[in-house]
Amino acid sequence: MRWLGLVLLGPALWAVVFSLVYGLHGTLCATASGPEDLGRAARLALVGAWLLGIAAFLPVFALIPERSGQAANLPRIGLWIGLVATLFTLFPVTVTTSC
Amino acid sequence: MSDTSLTPRTGTIAPNPPRRALALHRELQSVWANDRGLWGQMTAVSHTTLGLRFMATAIIFFAIGGILSMLIRAQLASHQGAFLDTELYNQIFTMHGSIMMFLFAIPMLEGLAIWLLPKMLGTRDMAFPRLTALGYWCYLFGGLIMLTALLFGVAPRDGWFMYTPLSSAAYSPGINADVWLLGVTFVEISAIAAAVEITVTILRQRAPGMKLTQMPLFAWYMLGTSAMMLVGFPPLIAGSVLLEIERAFDWPFFDPARGGDPLLWQHLFWLFGHPEVYIIFLPAAGVMSMMIPVLCRTTILGYGAIVAAILGLVFLSFGLWVHHMFTVGIPHMALAFFSAASVLVAVPTAVQVFAWIGTMWKGSPQLHLPMYHILGFFLTFVMGGLTGVMLAIVPFNWQAHDTAFVTAHLHYVLIGGFVFPMMAAATYWMPLITGRRRVKGLGEAAFWVILIGFHGTFFIMHLTGLMGMPRRIDVYPDNPEWVWLNLTSSIFSFVLTIGFAMFVLDLILQATLGKRESRNPWRAPTFDWAMPIPSPNYNFASLPTARHLDRDADEVILPLARGEGILPGAPNGRRELLVTRVGDAQPDHVGVLPGNTALPLALSASIGVFVLLMLASLYALAGIALVPVAVLIWVWVRGMAPGDNLASVAVTPGLRLPVHHHARASLGQSGLVAFLVANGTLFASLLFGLAFVSVVTPGPEAPISTFTPRTTAIALGLVTLAVGLASACVAWSGRHGAAMLALLLNLGALVVLVWMAATQLDDPTRHARDALRAVMAGYVGLHLLVAAGMAAFALDQFRRGEITVDVTGAWPALRLWQRYTSVTTLVTIGVLTAQAVMS
Ligand code: HEM
Ligand SMILES: [Cu+2]
Repeated sequence: MRWLGLVLLGPALWAVVFSLVYGLHGTLCATASGPEDLGRAARLALVGAWLLGIAAFLPVFALIPERSGQAANLPRIGLWIGLVATLFTLFPVTVTTSC
Repeated sequence: MSDTSLTPRTGTIAPNPPRRALALHRELQSVWANDRGLWGQMTAVSHTTLGLRFMATAIIFFAIGGILSMLIRAQLASHQGAFLDTELYNQIFTMHGSIMMFLFAIPMLEGLAIWLLPKMLGTRDMAFPRLTALGYWCYLFGGLIMLTALLFGVAPRDGWFMYTPLSSAAYSPGINADVWLLGVTFVEISAIAAAVEITVTILRQRAPGMKLTQMPLFAWYMLGTSAMMLVGFPPLIAGSVLLEIERAFDWPFFDPARGGDPLLWQHLFWLFGHPEVYIIFLPAAGVMSMMIPVLCRTTILGYGAIVAAILGLVFLSFGLWVHHMFTVGIPHMALAFFSAASVLVAVPTAVQVFAWIGTMWKGSPQLHLPMYHILGFFLTFVMGGLTGVMLAIVPFNWQAHDTAFVTAHLHYVLIGGFVFPMMAAATYWMPLITGRRRVKGLGEAAFWVILIGFHGTFFIMHLTGLMGMPRRIDVYPDNPEWVWLNLTSSIFSFVLTIGFAMFVLDLILQATLGKRESRNPWRAPTFDWAMPIPSPNYNFASLPTARHLDRDADEVILPLARGEGILPGAPNGRRELLVTRVGDAQPDHVGVLPGNTALPLALSASIGVFVLLMLASLYALAGIALVPVAVLIWVWVRGMAPGDNLASVAVTPGLRLPVHHHARASLGQSGLVAFLVANGTLFASLLFGLAFVSVVTPGPEAPISTFTPRTTAIALGLVTLAVGLASACVAWSGRHGAAMLALLLNLGALVVLVWMAATQLDDPTRHARDALRAVMAGYVGLHLLVAAGMAAFALDQFRRGEITVDVTGAWPALRLWQRYTSVTTLVTIGVLTAQAVMS
């Protein structure tokens, strides 16, 4: 059970960060003055949220037991999946989008 | 896979002594077989019977959907196709899409999983046999309602994704749209039921010692699929319920004039709709991963990589729904989110394709009939994947959106990625289903006709699409230059149909005329072949353990048939199987399953009456029709009450295990957890809707609320207090008094809530936000009502002496439900309060 939880952790973290950044983006845009405008502060907030999300992965890596073999590798791969997905899918959003 | 020793806390598993196989078979048959005749079919709950029946019914719906597609193609063969008018054409393509997705693909994969999983995992049935049957009947009745509507010319006609406002009351006044909303939701009961069962069966019924990392890959795929179904279907159900409420009671969720938003429907639909593509694809990929190594006489390459790919797919596919909405001019949202994720999701798909190719490379592929279809899959699916990547690029999407190019792409993916693998699977597992060998030649011919017919039909649609032909048009009088291509496509579609007919004929011939096949004809190493063919209802005379893993199934068949595995026969005259623990699959307890019963049929019929009354707009009567539903559910749960024999069961010499009534972590409990995951997603979808219309939607602001702050605050405080206390009570002790208190507190909270809804909540018809608030209140109310019902049930069990110090009865379920109810109530109150304070 714990093992399965660890396997799911990485992608789940991505899902959480994704939802938060997505929600934040929606909220910021709702309060923005014009359709194209996403002010400096808003941009910083988005990038900050993204970086925080990435940072959240680091302590989690320590949770995984130091063994090798299939059973220990899967949680590790799961974390990498989550991390890469966070980097790749949120980068263009936080850095380049407007509303 | 080295560690196959079994040392559960209860001792080592020693083999049982051999017995006479025939005697064991008779003993099991008398307990597990269906009753005789038609009645026996109506009361059957066996996964073998129902899995096959699911698949057979799905094939019939495939044929119906196929006939509709022939009508479409016949109409498009000339530019003024005269024989369907626009109204009928719209109904026909909508029904074609809806039937293929909801009545063919999904039930087909459910049936396959229901039939195959227990055999592969080494157990005797699914976790909740009556639920399997309920799912089947709901599927059948829902499908029949939709077909009947088509016959009477009132079928849905707004496309298979039913966009609002086209599907709103103003533009779809008749019952056409209601047929879709209610029919599909009715059918989705079976999807949720199957997802719950599949999850629990995989996690709790593996052969003892079969670790998760030792499961056959199909089980991993199905675990991914069922997780996606638990999270993917609730948004669709939420959307359908909201739209139906809007149509029936004029609550304006999607009406921009009153603060609603048609985009909300699109979001909810595609939150389901994109994962749906993978829900369909994963099981197909699962059977491929089972068949390819066996047909290439080798083992699968990259087990771990495939599991990781499944994991990645399951999550990532929930991050891409908006790529179906690239052209709606999404005001406040970034296309970038979804374009990036759409490209990324190609990676895990590619990992799997390479693992299969690598496996074929390393083995020695043998060109048996299933292999033909597997190669057909490769050819077709890869082409569909390429056009998919093209469509994921936003500028190209703007060009090709809603043209025949999309139709071509989606059929390459669906037929390539699902129908070809299913045909491979059918030819592969037919011997286990029928015990017979196929008639040579016809199958191969069918394959070639299908392949040629398919590519002839759909490749051309790429071209017509690029020439600008829109999808969903019935005539194109101004574009005679499209005629030749369309006519060719239509001719090939008839070739395709002939191919499918030949394929089905081949199956029928095999089932009726084939010679007897020997056991394990493919020399497969998995448990699904370690049983007599055709497979009996009980699957295994004695259950396999991890000791039997990775051996040729032949070596395992005889010892298991002689009862040398665990839990041999049915000595207690009831259906027993072994329940193991999630992680390491060590034996936990013995589960006792219900026998044949007509209850599922009765329950789904009574839900069907409710659906029909809703369709007829007889809402008051529909409300009354829920009473029998509730009564039958009570009877259903009563059916799980312990019998007289609660003694522990001898599993092997030296190992006795308790029956599930003594177990805290019973199958039922795991099932409830899975159900609450789905339920939680439904709740989250409603929250998403509320946030969406409050924050994102540009329409008119909600008018000032009219509630009196003091009264509302007091009432909300009371509800909070009541649910908090109720949770504390059921957590505190499993006594009679606690159940009584929980009953009263839940009822009290419900009364306050109803009073508040009647006096304080704003009129839900005036603004979408108010409508969503009312829906949330309704959600909470329903949960309080069920909590009260469960408390009453537990009280009844105390009275009957069915809950004692070591018999848990309904108590753990009540406790879990109460907690869930309290949390969702508090979240709802918190959100509504925050909204009120902020405005
Ligand atoms: C049996 C061979 C099939 C043929 C000849 C066929 C043909 C077609 C055609 C011509 C259309 C376009 C209608 C239009 O845009 O006017 C269409 C739509 C569609 N088909 Fe098929 N199809 C077949 C099988 C399938 C299968 C197996 C599936 C799914 C598993 C499927 C799912 C769909 C969907 C979802 C649509 C879109 C409906 C809509 O626009 O609302 N089809 N089909
Ligand atoms: Cu998609």
